[in-house]
Amino acid sequence: MTLLQLDNVTKRFGGLVAVDHVSLEIDAGQFVGIVGPNGSGKTTLFNLISGVFFPEEGRIYFEGADITRMPPYKRAPLGIGRTFQIPRPFSSATVRENIAVGAMFGTLGKKLTVDDSMDVADQLIEKLDLTAHREKAAGTLTPVEKKLMEIGRALAMKPKLLLMDEAMAGMHPSDIDQMVAFTRQIAEEENISIVAMVEHIMRAVIGMAEKVIVLHQGAKLVDAPTQEALKDPKVVEVYLGGSGGR
Amino acid sequence: MKNQVTKYYPMLPVLAAYAALFLIGRNMSGMWQLVAMLLFYCALGQAFNIFLGMTGYVDFGYVAFMGVGTYGMALAISRLAHIEGLGAGIIVIGFVLAVLMSTMLSIAVGAVALRLRGAYFAIATIGVNEGFRFLIEGARIWNGSEGIIFTAQLNQILGREAASALATFWADLFVLIIAVAAALVTLIYMRSKIGYALTALREDEDAAKVMGINVTKFKIIAFITSASFAGLVGASSWALKTPYVFPPEVFEIHYTIEAIIIVLLGGAGTLLGPLVGGLIYGISKYYLSIFIPGFQLLIFAPIIIVIIVVFPEGVVGMLKAKTRNTAAGRFIV
Ligand SMILES: Nc1ncnc2c1ncn2[C@@H]1O[C@H](COP(=O)(O)OP(=O)(O)OP(=O)(O)O)[C@@H](O)[C@H]1O
Ligand SMILES: [Mg+2]
Repeated sequence: MTLLQLDNVTKRFGGLVAVDHVSLEIDAGQFVGIVGPNGSGKTTLFNLISGVFFPEEGRIYFEGADITRMPPYKRAPLGIGRTFQIPRPFSSATVRENIAVGAMFGTLGKKLTVDDSMDVADQLIEKLDLTAHREKAAGTLTPVEKKLMEIGRALAMKPKLLLMDEAMAGMHPSDIDQMVAFTRQIAEEENISIVAMVEHIMRAVIGMAEKVIVLHQGAKLVDAPTQEALKDPKVVEVYLGGSGGR
Repeated sequence: MKNQVTKYYPMLPVLAAYAALFLIGRNMSGMWQLVAMLLFYCALGQAFNIFLGMTGYVDFGYVAFMGVGTYGMALAISRLAHIEGLGAGIIVIGFVLAVLMSTMLSIAVGAVALRLRGAYFAIATIGVNEGFRFLIEGARIWNGSEGIIFTAQLNQILGREAASALATFWADLFVLIIAVAAALVTLIYMRSKIGYALTALREDEDAAKVMGINVTKFKIIAFITSASFAGLVGASSWALKTPYVFPPEVFEIHYTIEAIIIVLLGGAGTLLGPLVGGLIYGISKYYLSIFIPGFQLLIFAPIIIVIIVVFPEGVVGMLKAKTRNTAAGRFIV
């Protein structure tokens, strides 16, 4: 079943086309890796899906409903959760409170009370192994811990789709892989689709993805099952060749 | 259930401090005037904190809400004095009118300005206060620049003695009650979803939005709440203490600046901050003006700068961080 559908979506910043007529579909429960060199439009794509920006052209559908111009706070409870490339914690609030906010405002149907949201947060804190940091102000966490907390915050929303803009300078690639693998395990239990941005196509995470979408200068270059995508000469050229290969 | 009670423990130091202020004022001769001034600053800080402290948005037009609150009380007393049998009830009507008028103004201002982000909001609000003052003067609303003087009506309704007790005691007691009420509302907000939404949007508005928070709605809630308390402060601290109102006196931006200083000194967004900030500010101002009249600002400005540099989170903000996860921390929020 199609969960998310983008139909010819374009986003411009002045003269720059950040996302260029992109169409794609994500199925419920699917794990999709998204790759592309710096500036290829991955974060902008996530911003369009979560509603931070509206596209100039094209339409976005979630579970068949048109959400192209729906404000972000209404999309979240429909089941769209996300993390940020550069962590954006609510710094003065504790880890527990940060995660509880997701449960409080980001879930669909009957809204949880503050106390119930705290219980949800406690469960996630245990799962994410953040117990030692529970009562710390989020601003004092290390970048890796912040990242984990953001995942918790998004999971507390009981999302159907989780957008992980997980690239991070300074974080060990194997840590990222572990974190994504772990999140994927939770997602599988709860039938959450994940679209995870993956910095490097050779990373282990890619191997877990059912399909890979490659962006290049805002346009979708490849959208194929993982094994096919990895062999695609266009991917090799754009992504591993000249610009991004390290 | 026990949990529900412990949640409100932080009201204890607030109540203790206001009770102490009251007792000092009543029992030590010559102190009531100082206490009244401190109560005014604490109430002002407590009211403004609900918006400035909890949302992180700076409203430079804040004093306008105190101004219209003052007018609310003045209008009630001056226009309804001829009705027989109202007695002291006229003051209740005045407070109701003050809240209604400040609420209405805050809805009008908030509906437009709160769509703007941070600095743009601040700039947009600079004009509100002056604009409103010129509107009243220019269009001759509520007697225009002549203002409203209602000493005679107050004397007629309450009698000379009671009117004088109102100005020298009851008005200040009302301010105390308003300050306590504002503190209680602050704590109730902090413990409810409203508080979590406000913290989230203050720390990162975009992140708050994508987590399902209707940020505009919560900003407006904080704005209206804060404005209605400002209206009450104006109605009692200004209208009831000095039974007249002139536009240039009530729409005076320096009260907004004082309110900002108090909130930042004490600790923006904390419960105890406005109380501590109001006391530090009021006491320093009072004694500096006694010992070095005329020069107080010269000394005052650097003191404030030093405090803000040493305690960027405000005095209570610092204490709160230090006492986190300790027994004392349960009372300091
Ligand atoms: N808010 C914005 N205003 C103006 N230009 C922007 C904005 N956000 C992104 N861009 C531009 O859009 C293009 C795509 O940026 P985007 O951040 O989506 O790329 P990305 O694939 O996430 O890159 P990275 O791998 O570095 O995270 C870039 O040229 C960027 O400079
Ligand atoms: Mg990016």
